[in-house]
This record gives sequence, C-alpha cells and structure tokens, in this order.
Amino acid sequence: MKKLVAALLLALPLFAAKPLSIKGSDTMVIMNARLAEAFMLKQPGTAIQVTGGGSGVGIASLINGTTDIAASSRPIKTSETDKLKQRFATTGYSFPIARDGLSVYLNAANPVKELTLAQISDIYTGRITNWKQVGGRDASIILYSRENSSGTYQYFKDNVLMGKDYSPRAQTLQGTAAVVNAVAKDANGIGYGGAAYAKGIRFAAVKKDDKSPAIMPTLDTVRTGQYPISRFLYLYTRVKPSKDMKAFIDWATGPEGQQIVTKVGYFPIK
Amino acid sequence: MKLKWILVLLLAVPVFAQEQEPEPTTPTVEELDDKVKSFGEAFTEMRNSLELLNRLKFSGYLQAQYLNDERSRNELGGTTGTRNFDQFSVRRARVKFTYQFMPTARFVLQPDVSSAGVTLKDGYVEFTEPWTTWKNTLTAGQFNWPFGFEIMYSSSSREMPERSRVVRTLFPGERDRGVMVSGLGLGERLRYQVAVVNGTGTGRTDDVNKRKDVVGRVGYSFGPLDVGGSLYRGSDLVATSTQATGIEFDKDRLGVDFQWVTPVPGLGVRGEYIRGKQAPNPGTTRTQSHDVDGWYFYAIQNLGTRHQFVIRADDYDADTDVDNNAVRTLGGSYIFHWDANSKVMFAYEKPENEINDPDDNVFTVRYQYSF
Repeated sequence: MKKLVAALLLALPLFAAKPLSIKGSDTMVIMNARLAEAFMLKQPGTAIQVTGGGSGVGIASLINGTTDIAASSRPIKTSETDKLKQRFATTGYSFPIARDGLSVYLNAANPVKELTLAQISDIYTGRITNWKQVGGRDASIILYSRENSSGTYQYFKDNVLMGKDYSPRAQTLQGTAAVVNAVAKDANGIGYGGAAYAKGIRFAAVKKDDKSPAIMPTLDTVRTGQYPISRFLYLYTRVKPSKDMKAFIDWATGPEGQQIVTKVGYFPIK
Repeated sequence: MKLKWILVLLLAVPVFAQEQEPEPTTPTVEELDDKVKSFGEAFTEMRNSLELLNRLKFSGYLQAQYLNDERSRNELGGTTGTRNFDQFSVRRARVKFTYQFMPTARFVLQPDVSSAGVTLKDGYVEFTEPWTTWKNTLTAGQFNWPFGFEIMYSSSSREMPERSRVVRTLFPGERDRGVMVSGLGLGERLRYQVAVVNGTGTGRTDDVNKRKDVVGRVGYSFGPLDVGGSLYRGSDLVATSTQATGIEFDKDRLGVDFQWVTPVPGLGVRGEYIRGKQAPNPGTTRTQSHDVDGWYFYAIQNLGTRHQFVIRADDYDADTDVDNNAVRTLGGSYIFHWDANSKVMFAYEKPENEINDPDDNVFTVRYQYSF
C-alpha cells in the first residue's frame, strides 16, 4: 500500500497543470509579469511563467512549440506566419494588449527638447552626428540601440528609419532598461524604447515634420494618435485561446488588466 | 620536535614576506582616468569583435536513419551495384553558414555531409535593395530552383522522408547555378521569383549547352490559403543514336500549387500539379521530348505541439503517351517532436504502378537533430 502511495506521489508532477508560458518582448516583460502576478492572485491554481529575450525570440518559440504565448512589440512578420502555417497548420492569433508611445530618450542635461521624425531618422542612420546640427551643444551624438531580435529595434527601423539601416556607430544594448541606463549616464547619448521606462532620462517631444507641433508621449496623445510613433504591443498564440489562456487574455484586455497596463506606464488599447 | 619547529618556521615565512612588501600607494585621479580609458578601449575592441562575430550565423541539422526496403537482396556485385537497401545511414548532415557582410547583403554556404559523401547544397550571395517595400533581392550562385512548393521546402521541415516522385524526377537535386531576382509586395501577399540558370542542376559541374534556362514562380497569399503558379522553359543537350554530339530537346514544366490551413484545428493540406516536356535518355532514337505529368497531395494533422500524423499520395507519369507506366505512391508518417531541436519520424511508403504492385515498399525510421 505504501509503495502505491509513494508511486502516486511520484507521478503527481506528471499530471500537474503545466504553467502557461509567455515569452518574448523585453519591452513588455515587466508589464506581462505584473499582469501574470495579479491574475494568479485572482485565480489561485493558475500558473503563468513570464520570460523575455526579445520579440523575435518569443515568436520563434511560438513556432517551435516551446511557449504558449509570444509577447511581441511589433506585428508578426509574413515569414514567421509562413513557418507557423507549415509547422502547426495555423495562421496564429493576435491580441493587442497595450499601446505604447515609442519614446526617444535624451539625457536630462541635454538642451535639445524636440526632434522631427526626419531628424531622428538622420541621427540613427548616421547622417546627423553632432548635437549642434539639431540645436544642441557641439558634441558627438552617442547612439544607443537594441539588439536585432528586439521588436522595438524592428519597429523603430520600419517606422522611424523607414526601413533604412542603423548607423554602424549605434551601440547595441540588451533590453530597454539598459538603453535608459546608458542615456541617463551619458550627456550626449540618445536612445529609444517604451514609454514605461522613463527613469533618470527625459523624453524628446517628437514632431511629425517641421511644421507640426512637438508632441510628448502621453495617454491622450498616444490614444488619439497625435504622438507620431505609437504602436500596439501584442500577445500571439498558436491556437484559439481556451481555458486558462483565454481567461488570462480576456482579463488582461479587460478593465482590470488595462489598469495594470496603465500603472506600468503603457496606454490602454481602447 | 624538530618537525614541529620546521612547520612553525614555514608558516611564519609569509608573515615576514608580507612585512617586507612596500606600502601600496594611492593611485592618482589621472592614473585612474587612464585605467578607465584603457578599459573603455578594450571594451570597444571587444564590442567590435563581437559585432563582427554576430554577423556570422550558423544553423544545421543531422538526419540519422534506418531504412527497410522490400527490394533488398543479399547479393554481391549486382548489375546495379549493391542490392541491399536495409541499412543505417546519415541521410543528411548540413551546416548553413550565413555571413551578413553588409546590412543589405549576405553570403550563404551550405555543405551537406551524408553517407554518400560531401556535396555543396547552397552557395550564393544575396543583395536586397533598400529603396522600396518590395525587398527586391538579387541572388547569384547555387540555389533552389524557384518552382512550386516542395522544392523550396526545407528537408528538415518536410513531413515525409523524401520529396514526391514527380519533384525528384523532374528536379533532381533541387538546385542549379545562376542568378535570381525575387521580391514581395501588395502587403507581402504577392511573391515572385525569376531565375536564369544553367539548366543542368548540380549533377554536372559544367553546362553543355549555350542556351540558358528560365524558371520562376508567382505566389499569392489569401491568409490561410496560399496559391502559386510556376513555369520552367529550357532545354537539354542529349546524345542520340544518330548524333553523338547531341541535339537539343525541350525541357519545359508548368506547375500550380496550393497550401491550405483548413478550419479544422491543426489540419493543413497542400498539393501541387506539374506537367511538362522531358528530354529522353542518352542514345535515344527520339527526336522530340515527351510529355510527362505528376502531382502530390499532403494532409498533415497536428495534435498538440508534439505529434504530427501525415498522409501523402503522389503520382508520376513518365510519358503520358504511353499506357500503364505511371507510378502512384501512398505513404504516411508519424512524427514525434521530442523538443524544439529533435524529432523522430516513422514513415511507410507503398509505391505501385498501373498494372501491379511490386515488392518495393519502404519503411524509414529517422531521427533529426537541428540547431
């Protein structure tokens, strides 16, 4: 009898519910962790694991079946959807979970207050290399960027650099927090990333063009689309969500989840 | 007693030694500044080296298999070589090296090491224009023929051990040498690929005729349904019974293909039909190419993330004007995806021709590790 009980106890982990895994965007990792913590408190018995690595890593994990949900700060690429179709016979399901004003970070001591989209593009592609060219001090611009598996990297390249390549002088850093940290310590630094990471730096007001007003990323400007670099942050799944996955996504996109999204520093989807 | 004294003296040595060391001096701000600068320089050098290394990516896979074929015989020195096919082998072992030497240009090299020897599979450079959203790309070197679906679908992803008979016969080796232009537009729904190639495949190292072949595919994605049309126009120089230096025979193919993610969860189907003109074998008395056609159909059912059940039917008619020479193969496989890197495939294939069903069924167990 004892043997039977021992065998059943040993077998328990095999039947224990597998935690729901969310993997991907470093921009979203804090938000997803807060959402998961709050959801697990609300639904005891549900286990959710949140890890980062970058949007590209998250989507690759969705394709190779090692995560249930991919977090991505950019829309899924056609080539990635093709792989999902081929491996799992699905086109995938996307759920916008938050809006983000993709912000341009400047050091607190930098006298430059605003930049046009064209100036930001020229700075990051290497055409503008000195702050005096955009009304600042006579000092070289130090570029901080993200690794190419980052959704933020890709979104910025597609929507601000308009597909052009980053200057080879751009220093690649792992995670938005590292970019913020570098700009906070470097008077001549510039970086970009989620609006939720504004600690020790300040945002540049962004102008669509020379004649447009300079807009800061705020709840109203991002929600109304006035702020020129706003984007959705997504959760992607392979299958149509059911059970815990559906409950979590429904809750995260509902009023309670969206409150947490706002608390973390992002903007609600509606 | 003597030993104790020696031990005490030995232990005391470091004490005296320490006392004799000069007192450490406090570094000046300039010295510290120099040190920080040297660390900074070393860091920059390391970062630059790392960025160069980051441009080089490699991936690969190895397929180890056991194959059981009903045709196998214990026979030495058979007229067609060994007659035993029941054996363990390394079917494919490939490492793909990709070096992104410019943001818009890359170099790709993929050798294949199998039980049969070492061959070059892919070897090309690619340049993608940065000015439009079409991502027009020029590829030069050795690459897959841009025709249909199965040729370009990686062997590491394919759900049956080998490609269908029609593709294996009409596109042996799946690759050729030449230049290709490709791109995608209309919201990345439309894809095109056009190539000018030798037309010899990779079986020959040289091209025996002056004429070059043209091959291309246009595909459109409706979301869950992808469709494509392909065309190949070229020629083969073949020695005939009357002209040993060879005469040119037409080598044409026309194909349509589709891939559909059905509304049934986890069920995907795909198919392709190819018809064309095929040159005869050397020494022929023919003066013209003959018509050929063939097709395949796959149904792939996924269960969860680990299990795949596959059925494939394919058909190839080597000469549509000759009766009873088509070969139809029905096959199926079960694939267990162990983890993100490894999977095991159990496949069974039953070829039969139009008159009878010879003993030539094949069972394959294959383990694949990819990285």
